Amino acid sequence: MKKPIILILAAVLLLPFLVRPAIASEIWLFAIFGLGANLLLGYTGLLSFGQATFFGSAAYIAGWMMKVHGINAFLALAAGVGVGAASAAVVGYLCVQRSGLYFIMLTFALNQLFYFTAYQWTSITGGEDGMPGVPRPVLLGIDFKDPLVYYAFVSLLFLISLYLMRRIVESPLGKILQAIRENEVRAEAVGYDVPRFKLLAFVIGGAFSGLAGVLYAMLFGIVPLESIGFVFSGNVIFATLIGGSGSLYGPVIGSFVFIWLSESMSTVWARWPLLLGVAFVLVVMFLRGGVVEAWTRFWSWRSSKQRT
Amino acid sequence: MSFVAAQILNGIATGMLYALMGLGLSLITGILNIPNFAHGALFAIGAYFLVSSALIIGNFWVALLVAPIGVAILGLVIEYAGIRRLYAAGHDYQLLFTFGLALILSESIILIWGPVGSSYLPPEILRGGADLGFTMYPKYRLFVMVAAGLLVFATWLFLEKTRYGAIMRAGIENKEMVSLLGIDIKMLFTVAFALGAYLAGIAGALTAPIRGLNPGMGPDMLGIAFVVVALGGLGNLLGAIAAGLIIGVAQALVAAYWTEASTVVIYAVMAVILLVRPQGLFGIR
Repeated sequence: MKKPIILILAAVLLLPFLVRPAIASEIWLFAIFGLGANLLLGYTGLLSFGQATFFGSAAYIAGWMMKVHGINAFLALAAGVGVGAASAAVVGYLCVQRSGLYFIMLTFALNQLFYFTAYQWTSITGGEDGMPGVPRPVLLGIDFKDPLVYYAFVSLLFLISLYLMRRIVESPLGKILQAIRENEVRAEAVGYDVPRFKLLAFVIGGAFSGLAGVLYAMLFGIVPLESIGFVFSGNVIFATLIGGSGSLYGPVIGSFVFIWLSESMSTVWARWPLLLGVAFVLVVMFLRGGVVEAWTRFWSWRSSKQRT
Repeated sequence: MSFVAAQILNGIATGMLYALMGLGLSLITGILNIPNFAHGALFAIGAYFLVSSALIIGNFWVALLVAPIGVAILGLVIEYAGIRRLYAAGHDYQLLFTFGLALILSESIILIWGPVGSSYLPPEILRGGADLGFTMYPKYRLFVMVAAGLLVFATWLFLEKTRYGAIMRAGIENKEMVSLLGIDIKMLFTVAFALGAYLAGIAGALTAPIRGLNPGMGPDMLGIAFVVVALGGLGNLLGAIAAGLIIGVAQALVAAYWTEASTVVIYAVMAVILLVRPQGLFGIR
């Protein structure tokens, strides 16, 4: 249990020396996004293809409050968490009553509802051009415009999020969610109100997505339309699965792999989503179980070799 | 008055196309038990195939015959080479696979046909309007209404009146039982996917002369197909038609007065219906 935390702290310290601070920040904020998605996918067994709904809604509303009304950036972060949770409550309420494939399709369709609203409401969102002019916070005279300062801010929030998520999944609530994942009928029979707990998982996951969304908007100074689009929802699922959805640290590793993959692909070719699609297909064909599982298999193989 | 009537007719024409999409998706999703995120891409490829083959062959009708068959063959290959290996994997990996496939297909469309959309005219004989007494109405849209209606009817005939159709319906109900009866279930899966792809392809081909071509048409239609299935129920023919017509007509009526909301309304209508009837139109989970 200790080893991953030391590794993550080392990564937080070393990362800005290895890649551009902007990319390093993007990795940790995407990891926050992944933590939220994984609470649904990995711990509750709910495959939501609409996580960008919460990410994007929070980014737009918090960004708009900062830009137009000039509210404090920290208030905006809190507002983003609230918007993420609220939009997740709405989507969750409509979706948790259905299960299986219907559930997946509904989360996607509601994602489209939010996407097209953002796409058409150009007076606020800027439509296809996105919403520029999102400022970064200033605290006690420290200007977060410095990429390294902002990086420190994002990674601190990531560490807090990771700690919180660990507390959540190890709490009785987390155990109930896992019970729902393992056997929904039995959890219901034991007396748990399954739809309500699913909704709760949605709301918590939405709050994490909302935080990540606002950090994303502050990082790039703009809310692009893609941030609420379904491709973004697919990306976070990919990151969660490639990291290994069964583990708390899976989405963190997945976020590394995904951001690194998409950054290096996008510099190579304008049609890089095609390469991403190929990567998705290859992972499904050959790397089911994700990096964490491959890693543990490697370690057990190594330690068994050392013993002999 | 005639304006509203024309809008309702528009809604019926697009609604029938939505029903075709939902029907194909419902066959694939119901029988193979996978979330098919490539369904929209298959629709878009149907449209592009139609225009390209019409240009090559020089005849719209032959192209309308050939293009969806091309999409069905593509579906056959996709099922045989990829999806067939994933039946044991969870929905999460199946989703990632079909989503990856959708990315590959839509980007390939941009690579092959370019990122800019284009328009395409219906064949000579279907250009212009027909006088319906209460309104003038484009001939091509009337043709689409009839063609889509016939296709839905043919699918119904196939599912209800043929032996293989009965096997397919049984496959939606209980796959294990079907395979225990000695029926080649792998073959059934392949046929279902190809048939679903065919329906998506012909819906795309029929749409091309109305909406033209553009690379974003696939993802847009994917969401609509999901709405139709979520409201109509898996494998429910009547449900698909009802859901398709409801959102088609609602969209056309809203578009007449508030163009910007014409896409949002599809999903808003779905959300409202789900608020009242969480189990969908006909109560099938």
